[in-house]
Amino acid sequence: MTAVRTAAAGLALLLAAACTAPTPPRGQAGTTTGTVCAPPQAPPGAETATTIDIIEQAYFCILGNYYSGATLDARSLLTAGFVALTQELNHDGRDVPGATMPALTGDRKADWAAFETTYRKITDQAPDLRDKLTAVTLQAIVAALGDNHADWKHQDKRPPDYYDGDGYGLGLEANVNGPQVDTNPGAAVAPLFVATVLGGAAQAAGLRPGDIIEAINGSAPFIDGEATPAIAALYPKYPEARPVRLRLLRQSTGRRWSVTLKPGLFQRDLAGLQVVRSKLLDDDIAYVRMTGFAPDSANRVLRAITRLRTGRTLSGVVLDLRGNGGGSPVEAARLLSAFVHGKNTAYQCTVDGTCQATPTDDTVELLHLPLVVLTDRDCASACEHFSAAVKDLRIGRLAGTRTAGVISGPAQGYLLANNTLLSFPARHHLGPNREVIDRIGVPPDHYVPLTPKDAAAGRDPALAKALTLLHA
Amino acid sequence: MRRLLTLAAGLAVLAASACSAPAPPRSDAPPAKPPGPATLPAPTGPRPVGTTALHLTDTSRPDPWDLDVDARELKVTLWYPTKQREGERAPYMTAKEAELLLKGSGIATTPYDTLSKTRTNAVKDADPEGKKLPLVVLSPGFTKPMSTLTSLAEDLASRGYIVAGIDHTYESYATTLSDGRVAECLACDSDTDPGSHAALVQGRAADVSFVLDQLTSTWDRSGLIDRTRIAMVGQSIGGASVVAAMVKDQRIRAGIDMDGTSYARIPKSGFSRPFMFLGSRDHVPGGPDNSWDRDWKLLTGWKRWLVLSDAEHQSFTDIPLVADVIGIEPLPGMLPAARGAELTRTYVAAFLDQHLKSQRQPLLDKPSSRYPEVTFCPATCGQS
Repeated sequence: MTAVRTAAAGLALLLAAACTAPTPPRGQAGTTTGTVCAPPQAPPGAETATTIDIIEQAYFCILGNYYSGATLDARSLLTAGFVALTQELNHDGRDVPGATMPALTGDRKADWAAFETTYRKITDQAPDLRDKLTAVTLQAIVAALGDNHADWKHQDKRPPDYYDGDGYGLGLEANVNGPQVDTNPGAAVAPLFVATVLGGAAQAAGLRPGDIIEAINGSAPFIDGEATPAIAALYPKYPEARPVRLRLLRQSTGRRWSVTLKPGLFQRDLAGLQVVRSKLLDDDIAYVRMTGFAPDSANRVLRAITRLRTGRTLSGVVLDLRGNGGGSPVEAARLLSAFVHGKNTAYQCTVDGTCQATPTDDTVELLHLPLVVLTDRDCASACEHFSAAVKDLRIGRLAGTRTAGVISGPAQGYLLANNTLLSFPARHHLGPNREVIDRIGVPPDHYVPLTPKDAAAGRDPALAKALTLLHA
Repeated sequence: MRRLLTLAAGLAVLAASACSAPAPPRSDAPPAKPPGPATLPAPTGPRPVGTTALHLTDTSRPDPWDLDVDARELKVTLWYPTKQREGERAPYMTAKEAELLLKGSGIATTPYDTLSKTRTNAVKDADPEGKKLPLVVLSPGFTKPMSTLTSLAEDLASRGYIVAGIDHTYESYATTLSDGRVAECLACDSDTDPGSHAALVQGRAADVSFVLDQLTSTWDRSGLIDRTRIAMVGQSIGGASVVAAMVKDQRIRAGIDMDGTSYARIPKSGFSRPFMFLGSRDHVPGGPDNSWDRDWKLLTGWKRWLVLSDAEHQSFTDIPLVADVIGIEPLPGMLPAARGAELTRTYVAAFLDQHLKSQRQPLLDKPSSRYPEVTFCPATCGQS
């Protein structure tokens, strides 16, 4: 099954951590048509079971509101759902003689009725599997859209002992993470190594940045240069708690050893969790790190630069967007507006090719400062909107690696009747030159990948490159 | 049916940051003619009440919000028993503070100065009377000036407590500093960041310890305070800050968290000083917020978990009392403002009387027919 998680996992966590309603991260309000589903108006109530009626609601919600909902062949969705359903029965050793696909005609309502009738007959014969079957079917229908901003999510479950700011998992982040794991695995590049030790089990086991991960639960992370699904085991989500065994190599010493890490809650450095952080580098460069395009984040970045500028002449700005999972396109456009006026930063287009421009906000004061943006393969969605505009509109240079390629279009969330959230875009995103960025990403002007040796030594070659560019 | 107060959109937005329930929608009915200033309910204790403000500066640490300031300035409002019955009543807040609070809260339709003219009961700068009084530190909700807990503060002072309410600078829409400058809510910039609430309550704990240092030693009237009888009470993030401050500072002997999702880590070894959760329906065991369930297990001393049915997040503050003035529509379903204030005053005072004055309070032992709204959790209250 294609993973169709949203790219902004970090931001979604962030919103959840603030205890507010999980507003869809890329929630640029789209126009909602039809009444079968609506964006959430308030924090949803407790989640209830996903039934065939919920699948029906999701099916018609997609057909009524999705980007290509009006024109797509709805049979492809039902077929994908049925494939997943039968695979699940087979996996569970519970195949059912009558589990054959009904004939579909192309009439969306009649086809649904036929699907539902067959579905009920099948699940009546495996009532204990009903919840699982319903979930895989709906997931497969959403995945069949092949859209990385289409997602169906259960409500987040939190460990009962969770504190604000805690992380959950093994306590490490490898160079392959986020969208490279669950959305765009083709982006990952060998070798796999520890990029950051966040705390928890990884810290307790003495792991360090730069340690090469040679095997995960006995499986290779790359085979013939292609990332394998084994990497996903590095990032368990609550309530997953199975220990994960890693074989590690520390290049500096040649030591090769294995550890077993148990997923759990761990404390994180609170200052490091701030979405916008800034500091002065070399006495004349404003360095601002921004981990998401959260509400008001553009203003926060601009205030930080203004503060660093007070009483001195700056040579430039380094905007560090590595790991930035996206957020609001409004914030992306606003931040761009501090560097250029009178331009379109992106286009949002319907399936019939009608496009809406996202112009700069020319009320934002121009900074008139040289800009270098640090990108990597975790810079997704609104982060790519921003990076593509920096490149196309020639307002700065990009250093690092290509962006994630996870920017189909701004997603709108729809609350289903069991209080789960379905989200997908009504429009698809194009860059300022009307080019497709989704799945391709934005290439950096200066390709500076992070190596395990850099990570081990605490070096940041992309930042070093940025400083060189600004001082040249 | 009783007319009951609740929150409208603007303040609900604030409350959302503290995990409270969504506010019911504002009624469409057009408001009647703007009402005059509200009057806070009279204190219920025997003593007249005085009040004064102190501006204290902690030079040992930088301000956590204004990165260009290398000291932390705090405004502390004191309420205390006095002999002086007559005299000018203290202003509720300045017109500028009222304007910033209402604008920040998204309430733009009200004449700002009507809120600032809310009539209080404490005599401005009256001479304190007494010595070695038990001290209660108060900490308000996020974005709220300390003034929003005035009704509770005045009542406690009339019962013989000295009350020190802290305006945590830059965590409120408006705090007037010693030089007359009005600090706004810098903390609001990062309120949605993960870990921001955990960091904020750590900062408040540092504020409280500094204020205790000052009031119990440096302050020229420190003889008013019995240093062995100190408690802390807060609402929303101020309530969460009570947990944080007590974990860090052993001088605080007892504490109450009023409807605040809590963020500070209580040591696994436990926490034995008296503690009370006093909440709305959102804070029932197994409810949408895990934090009280989590902390309850770690409280090893005297503890209570009381939930007021038909209360909402602001029922423990003055907000319902001034709701008419600031154009918040009363909606059915919630406690009347006066009843919310009465319940808050009664149960807070009972807790403090028991733990700071060693006066046993049967009210805290079991439900009372006089206050049927109060349920005792987790034993006899379930998720409704």
